[in-house]
Amino acid sequence: MASITFESVGKVYPDGTRAVDSLDLEVGDGEFMVLVGPSGCGKTTALRMVAGLEDITEGEVRIGETVANALDPSRRDVAMVFQNYALYPHMSVFDNIAFPLRCRRLARTEIRERVEKTAGVLGLSEYLRRKPGALSGGQRQRVAMGRAIVREPQAFLMDEPLSNLDAKLRVQMRAEISSLQRELGVTTIYVTHDQVEAMTMGTRIAVMRKGVLQQEGPPQELYDQPANLFVATFMGSPGMNLFRARIVESNGALHCAVGDQQLDVAGRSLDACRGREIAVGIRPEDLSAQVEEGQPALETTVVLTETLGAERLLHVGLQAEPVVTDDVLEIAKDIDATVASDLEHESHHVTLVARVDASFGPTPGAKVSLGIKPQKLHFFDLETGSVIR
Amino acid sequence: MRARYTWRAFSRELIFLALAAFFCIPFYLLFSIALKPNSELFTSPLSFPTSPDLGNFSEAWKGQAGVGLGRAMFNSLVITVFTVAILILIGSLCAYALARRPSRLSNALYFMFVLGIIIPFQLGIVPLYVLFRKIDLIGSYLGMITLWVGVSLPVTVFLYTGFIRALPRDYEEAAQVDGAGVLRTYLRVVFPLLRPVTGTVAILTGLFVWNDFFISLIFVSGSDRVTLPVAVYAFVGEYFTQYNLVFAAVTIALLPIMIFFVFAQRQLIRGFTSGVRG
Repeated sequence: MASITFESVGKVYPDGTRAVDSLDLEVGDGEFMVLVGPSGCGKTTALRMVAGLEDITEGEVRIGETVANALDPSRRDVAMVFQNYALYPHMSVFDNIAFPLRCRRLARTEIRERVEKTAGVLGLSEYLRRKPGALSGGQRQRVAMGRAIVREPQAFLMDEPLSNLDAKLRVQMRAEISSLQRELGVTTIYVTHDQVEAMTMGTRIAVMRKGVLQQEGPPQELYDQPANLFVATFMGSPGMNLFRARIVESNGALHCAVGDQQLDVAGRSLDACRGREIAVGIRPEDLSAQVEEGQPALETTVVLTETLGAERLLHVGLQAEPVVTDDVLEIAKDIDATVASDLEHESHHVTLVARVDASFGPTPGAKVSLGIKPQKLHFFDLETGSVIR
Repeated sequence: MRARYTWRAFSRELIFLALAAFFCIPFYLLFSIALKPNSELFTSPLSFPTSPDLGNFSEAWKGQAGVGLGRAMFNSLVITVFTVAILILIGSLCAYALARRPSRLSNALYFMFVLGIIIPFQLGIVPLYVLFRKIDLIGSYLGMITLWVGVSLPVTVFLYTGFIRALPRDYEEAAQVDGAGVLRTYLRVVFPLLRPVTGTVAILTGLFVWNDFFISLIFVSGSDRVTLPVAVYAFVGEYFTQYNLVFAAVTIALLPIMIFFVFAQRQLIRGFTSGVRG
């Protein structure tokens, strides 16, 4: 096992496209690091640079203490799981898993032992003679994992390995990969565009956008303390609610003026923002249907409700200006182009999503007060997108 | 639900059967003339022989001009098999480099190969003959194989390059990360994936070489390395031709190819139609 270090790593393609820009990241020995971000953010390029499948234009990638920049992929001792698995279609499952061992010229008996042991761990023992074409998606995924773990490499590199599976299988495989990684203790870099995957699997997450690392840290830290608007909106499903507000002073205390409502933000240091317009964010679960006495609240109108069994998602309308920045639009476009278009055309009105108890079921059109804990509010600079703390 | 067998379906079947029968006419003529004694050849050329004469085949097998059909068949086999094998080896490697290392040089080389397809090889026959005579390659296996590899390489490279360009790189990348060097990646991973196009190349060039008359006539005629078509042509005389022997020789020449098709048909079709799945 080894740590993997990106030191000011950059990648510029011959046509001038900059895929990765000054990436500094340290993946500790045995750590499960998830690189997450929307399409084209440079996460796969970063992974491929570790594997040696892309040349490194700037900076240094180190695997353990070795600078890997000029090292051939075959000599890096890392194993990679590809998005489409890249199983050799003409070889049986046994031969696929045995391939990396044969490349190392191990003895036949040792190859057989190791392949059979790996197949046993992954529940593939009865499929060893089959060709990949005769396997289900989940089984193929396991073979790809088998080919990676049989070598006992210094690190696993996984490029969206679950994206070809259906939702149910994805959840199952997510858990399997996580527990396998914990068991083996192998340093892992896992690339995904799915923030749920990132949150559930990674011991640390690195969020990337347009080739630039936005924030890295444990999943809960990124969720609770996003460094900027991009991370705030990218992490979480449903995403963080955002609206514009002006910081005003009334009765000697600072308030957020949201439309014609005023939100008490006592205890938050917003002195530097006095008189300025900022972006305010709040997670759906931090909007509460029960408003305690004296608690700041937002007056909203129910637009629609979605029942999820144990809880309910309330979509409510709020008189406020929407936050339409590049970060937000990019995330919206990633979800659906029409969402981004709606957002651009929205004015004086924002739709918030609140996660409430399933027993609370107001009808559409009803007026609802949603309680807010000021310490759960997130404030962002509208120009830079950075968090205001 | 079972579809009803209608008159329309019946008449369609009838038309196709008639068409199939039409395609069998040359084979009927081939076999019937090959079995006819000399006397019957000109009196009733199209009818089935009244007393089939298998002696034509043994006569034809002996051959003309000193080289038997057995020897000619062996020559054809050696030249075809070695040409195809070398073409597959060199052509696929060459195409792999052209397809996977895009540069100005590789584009220029690829263009040269395309030119090789466009320009008729017959244009170069005379200088080639002079050169081959100088280096003593006329009437030899080595000469014929070298010549055929050169003539067929452009089309081979063209077919392989197109296929490799469409092949996902993931397999090669996976092999590299798994620890395979370039040669192992090519031999163990890439080459087996080229099976469909290898089948196409083998059939196209194999048939081309096996059936060729023109080049063989020029480069091996008069030697003991004559190929089947040239050996068959030896039965055609300047003043008199025994057509029953010619047809018997043609039938013998056809047999290896027909046997090959009968036994390899399923694999060939599977090879042509299957892509890369994994």
